[in-house]
Amino acid sequence: MRLLPKQENAILASPMVLFLLVLLGFPVVLSIIYGFSEASFESLMSPKFIGLENFRLVLQDSSFWDAGWFSLRFGVITALLECVLGLFLAVYLAPLIRKHGWMVAVLIIPMIVAPAMIGLMYRLVLHEFAGPIPYYFYEWFGWSPSFLSTGMVFQTIVVAETLQWTPFAFLLFLTAYQAIPNDIREAASVDGTRPWRMFWKIEFPQMLPTLFVAGFIRFIDGFRVFDNIYTLVGAGPGGSTTSMSIYIYETFLRRGEIGKAMAAAILLFIVAFAILAMGQRLMRRAQ
Amino acid sequence: MKLHQILRWIVFVIAALVMNFPVLATFITALKSPAEISRNPSLAIQSPTLENFMTVLTVSDRLNVYHYLWNSLSAALIGSILPIIVAFPIAWAMARRGYGRNILFPLIVNLRALPLVIFAVPLYLMFSVVNLLDTQIGLGLVLAIVNLPLALMLLVNAVSEIPIELEEAARMDGARLPRLIGRIVLPLCRPAFITTFVFGFITAWNEFLFGLILTTQNAVPMTVGASFFFATSGGGVQWGVAAAVMIVAALPPLLLGLIMYRKITGSMVSGAVKG
Repeated sequence: MRLLPKQENAILASPMVLFLLVLLGFPVVLSIIYGFSEASFESLMSPKFIGLENFRLVLQDSSFWDAGWFSLRFGVITALLECVLGLFLAVYLAPLIRKHGWMVAVLIIPMIVAPAMIGLMYRLVLHEFAGPIPYYFYEWFGWSPSFLSTGMVFQTIVVAETLQWTPFAFLLFLTAYQAIPNDIREAASVDGTRPWRMFWKIEFPQMLPTLFVAGFIRFIDGFRVFDNIYTLVGAGPGGSTTSMSIYIYETFLRRGEIGKAMAAAILLFIVAFAILAMGQRLMRRAQ
Repeated sequence: MKLHQILRWIVFVIAALVMNFPVLATFITALKSPAEISRNPSLAIQSPTLENFMTVLTVSDRLNVYHYLWNSLSAALIGSILPIIVAFPIAWAMARRGYGRNILFPLIVNLRALPLVIFAVPLYLMFSVVNLLDTQIGLGLVLAIVNLPLALMLLVNAVSEIPIELEEAARMDGARLPRLIGRIVLPLCRPAFITTFVFGFITAWNEFLFGLILTTQNAVPMTVGASFFFATSGGGVQWGVAAAVMIVAALPPLLLGLIMYRKITGSMVSGAVKG
């Protein structure tokens, strides 16, 4: 018996489709049920339908909006810093890297370490008695900022995130930079174009699509941040570092408000999907 | 020219030191004795010792690092191999016949960008119904979802790069689809399987949120287990031991990643640009 191509396709697709139906389809159904119900860990198996009440609770919760604002700021600021630093490192170090490929390996180490571990490591590094950073501040300046206090914690986690993920932007820019055809550069240098002008007029425009891609990916990753902030400071002093992901986690596991957490997750899904669709449309236009 | 070259080296060294600072400082602290940590928090270590690593690698009631390592290993293996198995057949149909190109492929690729916490809550509820909470299999299955999008992208790429003439020649010889895929396509995709596996393994090993929510005791992975050492249970944190635990926890993905860094960087870039 010979199968039709259509039947063959269905068979080839079935493992993945089944996998997704079970592991994502089921949770989607649960999300919808619990999003519209009242439930706690005690009454987990008997959710009570309450309509849109959970969504009203979430939208009226000022911490929800604070978390959204935090994630947005964190995503935008870290994405910008990472792109600027990554672009600089890629372009400035490219001539050196052409001869010494191993340098790339050294610079991408932070990305291979778990963000949760990086968060924990900063707890040690910034600790007022055991940490080297406060030690050197005292040694050199006779004074040390309290990095995890309400006033400074945001800057601290922005720096931690930026230092871990600049390598990602660096890697994308390096690849894009190396892909610029050399005859473009040669033609320009025959015309006597100086390096600085060469970068802005010729190389930078070639790398613009990559800039959008890197910025967008880093923004998305910054927006959904959880691991490193959670292991470094948790929700932070006075909840000041509650990102959207941390908000949902705390609503769910700490406070046991399952319906409310689920409603917040559904809202986050809608927002994230809208941002994704918009970003992809913009990128397609840019290309 | 010479000056520029020196400046570039200086920039590289500074960037490498600053970006790797937490890892370096943790490593140095792990080599200090408790007495030295309280006396000398600087990076200039006076008398290096392996004492902390010995404590970590010795099983005691308070601490069994092998338990966490085993949990991470088994969950990460499931989470990195399963996506390859389920994605490979459909990757061929997508690459060669454009199957699911308009809806299924973009849908799955976009999953990658969603905040994981969205799945965490419903998966917790589902797992409590089917008794998969706090099991390595349960955690492994979830990590497989996390890795599926990139696995699919890399495999679709790999199949489309195989010269179609090879497949056509096999068809001329009368090979049917199962034979064609099993004998021609599968062996040629081996490098892509390795890349996908390594990348997926590192991602799975480093995952934290699902481990935190879906496990409590039996299946706690290394990332979550390491954070327990910072829970101050009387007497404060033992910084040397905690630092050694973090190094042990970070080492497997680090070694794998450094050995295979060319493949890792390649798949990161293609994953980013094609998505």
